[in-house]
Amino acid sequence: MLDAFSRAVVGADAKGACLGSADLASLRQHVADANIRIDATNAISQHISCIAADAVSGMVCENTGMTQPGGNCYPTRRMAACLRDGEIILRYVSYALLAGDASVLDDRCLNGLKETYDALGVPIQNAVRAVEIMKAATVAIITDTNSGPSAFQGISGKGSDCQGIAAEAASYFDRVISSLS
Amino acid sequence: MKSAVTTVITAADAAGRFPDISDLKAVKESFDRAAARMEAAEKLAAGIDNVTADALKAVYSDGKYDLATRDKCARDINHYLRLINYCLIAGSTGPLDEWGIAGVREVFRTLGIPTSAYIEAFSYIRERVCVPRDMDQQAANEFKDLLNYLINALS
Repeated sequence: MLDAFSRAVVGADAKGACLGSADLASLRQHVADANIRIDATNAISQHISCIAADAVSGMVCENTGMTQPGGNCYPTRRMAACLRDGEIILRYVSYALLAGDASVLDDRCLNGLKETYDALGVPIQNAVRAVEIMKAATVAIITDTNSGPSAFQGISGKGSDCQGIAAEAASYFDRVISSLS
Repeated sequence: MKSAVTTVITAADAAGRFPDISDLKAVKESFDRAAARMEAAEKLAAGIDNVTADALKAVYSDGKYDLATRDKCARDINHYLRLINYCLIAGSTGPLDEWGIAGVREVFRTLGIPTSAYIEAFSYIRERVCVPRDMDQQAANEFKDLLNYLINALS
């Protein structure tokens, strides 16, 4: 697992060079934006069920046959597995967002996920749909543009300052989608 | 690669929890110290050749060690300083542990290399760091902490 800092270290070691002034510019920016990153991660942690459970329920509402006998979310044991997986994917996205690097998501969550779902007969397009809803909900919460009461509370300022980090979070969800598709 | 942030994430993942308030606090603390660490890393990267040359001169000045080993010693000192540069960036001793310390005792013992030469070199560098000529106080503290860590590992 790497973060933005150790990613730079591993890159420099491959060249056998020290990390000097030129390499430090982007890391200094990363440090300067630390509060925004921490706020965004916290916004996810504070709304786990709002993001994950709602996304899975939303996906099921769009495909009501899923909870009927013969559907992929019938009986409740399988629905529970689906809810659990939504939360696990969201958790690894939150780690990647905190680290500023996708390696933790790749290594510990996505590696082999599609093969597992194929083997278990999980319908991929429905899993992708749930991830898409999680992505939309996460971006809305981080940028404080969700409907209903404001969900964002941060040390860095306003949700409108978090467009960049929301785009980064969205890119991790896209990574999940492309690895499943 | 162990760093300040990945250590926190590894612990959270082992417990299966989302990053909670105390995790985020730990990350925030490491970010707060990052400016000083980066200053130290930057100054070290700029002066690594001079620092190595000075330390080498000090180690070989009293004729205790065979001059034939001089170039290899310079290479190793440079290597360790580079790893310290990485540790300053990562905010953790991960790069030193994984690339510089794991297995080093066995290698030195097998090849009959006296670790005392390295200890003298790094002690010399530690004493020579001058505030504020080389870097500011906080940066120097971060740098010296890592030198001490390395000296202890080699002792």
